[in-house]
Amino acid sequence: MESLLITILAIPLIVAAIVWMTPGNIKVMGSLHVLGSIAYSVMAIKAILAVVHGEVLFAFDDMLFLDSLGGVFLSLIAVTGLLINIYSVKYMEWEVKKGDITQKDAKLFFALSHIFVFTMSLSVVANNMAIMWAAVEATTLSSVFMVALHSGKRSTESGWKYIVICSIGLAFALYATVLLYSAGFSVIKDAHSTMLWTTLIAHAKEIDPDALKLIFIFALIGFGTKAGLAPTHTWLPDVHSEGPSPASAMLSAVLLKCALLAIVRYYAIVGNSMVGFEYVQMLMLIISILTIFIAALFILRQHDIKRMFAYHSVEHIGIIAFGFGIGGPFGIFAALFHSMSHSITKALAFCVSGNIIKIYGTRDMTKMGGLVKIAPITAVLFGIAICSLVGIPLFAIFVSEFLAIKAAITSGQYVAVALFIVGLAIIFVGVFSHFNAVMFGKPKGDVLCKEVEWSANLPLIILAGLIVFFGIYSIDSWVTLLNNASKIVVGV
Amino acid sequence: MDLLTILSTCMIITSLAVFGLRNYKASIFSYSIQTTLLVLIFLTLSNAHEAHQLFGWAMVAIVTKVILVPFIIFRLVKKLGVVSEVEPVAGFFVSPIIAMGFSLAIAMSIYPIYLKFSLIQEHIPLIASITIFMMGIFGFILRKSAIKQILAFCMFENGIHLSLALMAYNSPEIVEVGVLTDAIFAVLIMSVLASRFYKYFGSLDVSKANTLKG
Repeated sequence: MESLLITILAIPLIVAAIVWMTPGNIKVMGSLHVLGSIAYSVMAIKAILAVVHGEVLFAFDDMLFLDSLGGVFLSLIAVTGLLINIYSVKYMEWEVKKGDITQKDAKLFFALSHIFVFTMSLSVVANNMAIMWAAVEATTLSSVFMVALHSGKRSTESGWKYIVICSIGLAFALYATVLLYSAGFSVIKDAHSTMLWTTLIAHAKEIDPDALKLIFIFALIGFGTKAGLAPTHTWLPDVHSEGPSPASAMLSAVLLKCALLAIVRYYAIVGNSMVGFEYVQMLMLIISILTIFIAALFILRQHDIKRMFAYHSVEHIGIIAFGFGIGGPFGIFAALFHSMSHSITKALAFCVSGNIIKIYGTRDMTKMGGLVKIAPITAVLFGIAICSLVGIPLFAIFVSEFLAIKAAITSGQYVAVALFIVGLAIIFVGVFSHFNAVMFGKPKGDVLCKEVEWSANLPLIILAGLIVFFGIYSIDSWVTLLNNASKIVVGV
Repeated sequence: MDLLTILSTCMIITSLAVFGLRNYKASIFSYSIQTTLLVLIFLTLSNAHEAHQLFGWAMVAIVTKVILVPFIIFRLVKKLGVVSEVEPVAGFFVSPIIAMGFSLAIAMSIYPIYLKFSLIQEHIPLIASITIFMMGIFGFILRKSAIKQILAFCMFENGIHLSLALMAYNSPEIVEVGVLTDAIFAVLIMSVLASRFYKYFGSLDVSKANTLKG
């Protein structure tokens, strides 16, 4: 089984090299891109299934591993990532045809997206915390030029903001890593195994609690910046709105969660130490409520469709953090479930916004209208994304939000849950006014084309299907995976 | 005063120079000197504390941070033909002093926790490492020139590097490799973006970029 983890990491690198070296037109590159993504996802799902059956995979002298917690996040890369990659082929074709980018830019985008998948997978399967840090930093580096793909002021500005703010943030996370290592080393006394999450969590009770408190704050600032938690979320709306839609989708649906996994690893260690869970839960709860309210405020006044969705990402990262703030097996279960439901929903939302921008030629929602008549399929997909985003029953996000609220009420945290519901209500109102403006009435600006091609809509229909499916059915193996993952965090 | 104290103090002074000097070339040169001092600290520690790994770290740092990184930034400055930073904010000359004050205060308040677990129990270098890190962070916040921000990034990276050497010199090599590789790629990517920035905005002042708001 050791080779499986290595295969998962090797495939995207090889595919990136092949795509980069292939001369020829965008169709050939696109096919290679899709085939490579499928190969990756098949192997990743194989590994996840092994984990569901109770195995823990190790490789490279235990420096890499896949446990249930990692499995949850790897499944996001494998499923959501694949569908976004398939969509990106059509999207890049449009951009090349329109003359916004060249074939060479498209090639760069495809190659980078596989390197990006590699860095994200590495951050998820790293048992060595320094490798995990390096991988998270590498996710920024590999995705900068996916975001800043276009030439021009806005794209350059967003790229600069992205690398600068995330690098500062992650510097704090590196301090957390160094401090945890030296605090751990004074107890464990072995350089190699002190770096490993599996050893650290086993010795958590012996590690100095004062140091751990500081470590968690550093980790929260550091990886929290990358995950988009307030108050250091400011890069996120700019970066997610300026990149090409598939890049925004990948960043929002998958990358943010990888950064969140890093926080969860620290959360588990500090929670299981003498510091206890109250400390980490309190910090997560404060940050999450702050994040949700800041996002709500900004969602209300957005007219740019992609910026609106970007603030939704901030909001939902806040909701995931809220789950961890509530804590206990139920709160963590809800948070992990929400990671997945937000991932598929946001992937759909950003990809649909790609369609909508193609149709209207603008991102300004005040210039849209009558989408139902112009492009019915896109309109339905947009509707599903919005309904799920605001948490309407029968869609995936409702399930996880419901679970989070239930966990909060069961554990008696009434004030937190009240604030949480108020935050969500504000967003609900804000979103539906925008939604009406786009869907109904007459178009207020130009309409450049009608419905987009089926090949572009197919991955989106699958995403929409998943959203409804997870909203209605409960899948046993998924529940098992989440249960085992929350047990790892709680330390039962 | 022993050698380590002198070297660490000099590192703190160079951070003031990297931060405060308006001339880009002088600023890059100060960074290079700071890294040379870092290398000397590694060598001293390697001898005094039998931390042989640090000898290797010193050699790698000479190639990557004394030569390669300054070269990349130097080439960027030459390519763009810029000489010195325009005064972007009020209190331009005071800001390095204020930043230094805050950095030292933060360093003094948290270094005892670091010291408790540090493999090498040296006070002044540890304080210096946190101070330089914080100077880098302040440099990022208070300086608006893209090149100064790249240098600020390099500077806080030096601070972390020194902490890493003091607190975790025995960690597996993969740690050093990972951190350094990321740092070099980050500098490369930032310099590409900085030159694109100059092309589109006609200036390196990142506070002028405000097309994205709300």
